[in-house]
Amino acid sequence: MVDDPDARAGEDAAHLEGCSECRGRFEGISDDARAVATLLAVHDAHVDVAGAFDRMLAAPAAQRRPIFRLPLIRPGRRPVVLAFAAVLAGVALIAAVVAGDLTLNFAPNTVTPVPVTVADMQALSQLSNYGDITWTKQPQLQAATSASDAEALAGMTAPVVSNLPSSVSKNITYGAMTQAEAVFTFSAEKARAAATTQGKTLPALPAGMDGATLTIKVGPAIGEIYGDLQKPAAGSDISQLTLPQLVVVKSSAPSATSTQVTVRQIEDYVLAQPGITPELKAAVQAIGDPSTTLLIPIPVAYTTSKDVTVQGVKGVALGDNTGVGAGVIWVKNGVVYAVAGSIKVDEAIAIANNLK
Amino acid sequence: MNLGTRRMSTVRSDDEAFEDLFTAEYARVVRIANRVLADPHEAEDVAQEVFIDFHRLHSATAQYAPAWLHRAAAHTSLNRLRGARRRQKREVAQALEEGERTLDPQKQVEVDEDRRQVRVALGRLAPKPAAALAMRASGLSYAEVAQALGVGIGQVGTLLRRAEAALRKEVTRGTSN
Repeated sequence: MVDDPDARAGEDAAHLEGCSECRGRFEGISDDARAVATLLAVHDAHVDVAGAFDRMLAAPAAQRRPIFRLPLIRPGRRPVVLAFAAVLAGVALIAAVVAGDLTLNFAPNTVTPVPVTVADMQALSQLSNYGDITWTKQPQLQAATSASDAEALAGMTAPVVSNLPSSVSKNITYGAMTQAEAVFTFSAEKARAAATTQGKTLPALPAGMDGATLTIKVGPAIGEIYGDLQKPAAGSDISQLTLPQLVVVKSSAPSATSTQVTVRQIEDYVLAQPGITPELKAAVQAIGDPSTTLLIPIPVAYTTSKDVTVQGVKGVALGDNTGVGAGVIWVKNGVVYAVAGSIKVDEAIAIANNLK
Repeated sequence: MNLGTRRMSTVRSDDEAFEDLFTAEYARVVRIANRVLADPHEAEDVAQEVFIDFHRLHSATAQYAPAWLHRAAAHTSLNRLRGARRRQKREVAQALEEGERTLDPQKQVEVDEDRRQVRVALGRLAPKPAAALAMRASGLSYAEVAQALGVGIGQVGTLLRRAEAALRKEVTRGTSN
């Protein structure tokens, strides 16, 4: 009612006229609102949008695209879903880069959150400047209306939520992704060029790093999005969107194999890149055995995390401190599971524990 | 989900979609950041950072894009506000600016002092109410604030009222110290 004239009508307005207590409170609130409006007043920023766009494209950071995108969850409509897409992509990436061996069979069996800043994430995506990435197996992504269709494509059984909160829609959209395989080949020449354009010195390349390959496999995976995902009519307000309330993802744990260089060399090389903060470096180095631990990057500004036990194994619960939602991620028997949505952490953990 | 529509939409280049998104949202993102920082130049700096972050990790055709940008604008600028070093630099810059002004300097000093106090107070609020205030003050609707913060639209009014009361209290506390 304070800043919406349309709301000042009907029974509420009539009550306000006659009730001195409510009127006093309303006036107090209005007074706060007016005072804050004055306090927050600023000179308008006059922006040159076209110029700003050109500047953005010219910025070195804008020219670097992420090496890894996990398309399965990208149709999500909610930041938390997105955060998980970023998390899973980041998981695959970080898992891959910290887990190297001459001929490595990397199979994580537990999860550990690593707090990262956006700058850390950006620094990781800059790795594409240090080598070439080729998709040896392009992921096929397909939406399906039934679990059996999704299972047929992914070649794995779909997870079943056995205790869906009553607030969550039973309308499920399934997504399935085939296994994706990407090969990253380190290139000393590209790395030097990249460092030069940033005005920074590239850490000395370990012997064998030039031409070393890292093969990353992700998926197959199945995702389930609960909620009505009908596309809104053109021009409709964003508030009219119906959002997925819950997303459940099951994916084979990412695996990585590398050649020519050792775990320590890859780890040191990655962590010595410009832009990686001492915090991330310390966090990654604090992880016990990188070949068995799946790192989950937690954007510091957006998300908080805590260790939980899910289905008898260690998992990580993420509760976004901006209130967009919560989620749980865990690894069991070589499979990564994630449950996330606009739900409470406790609900997410309960769903996770009862996932079949 | 209308799969046909989704497939068609992916045919459109992501770069084109991103340019459209940038054109539609840049000014609003700057406004949100400016509301927090009271510094148009730094607000543009934040907007650039926010769009670069988005461009890296997300598809511009995503329907959550505006909400993501609004939230990121609020949080990125609030984070800057809280950075002690940055705050000190800004205060020095404001003091210099004050010195350059010739129109009613005493009044200008008072206005700037108020503005400084309120930014310090804003930085002390919890992230969600602070972001809600910045977004609403920069012209976002209740629905847009709700979308950006991931709360129900019915909660926005209460969130804003509490945030306003908290901000006034913080400002009062700051000036009485």
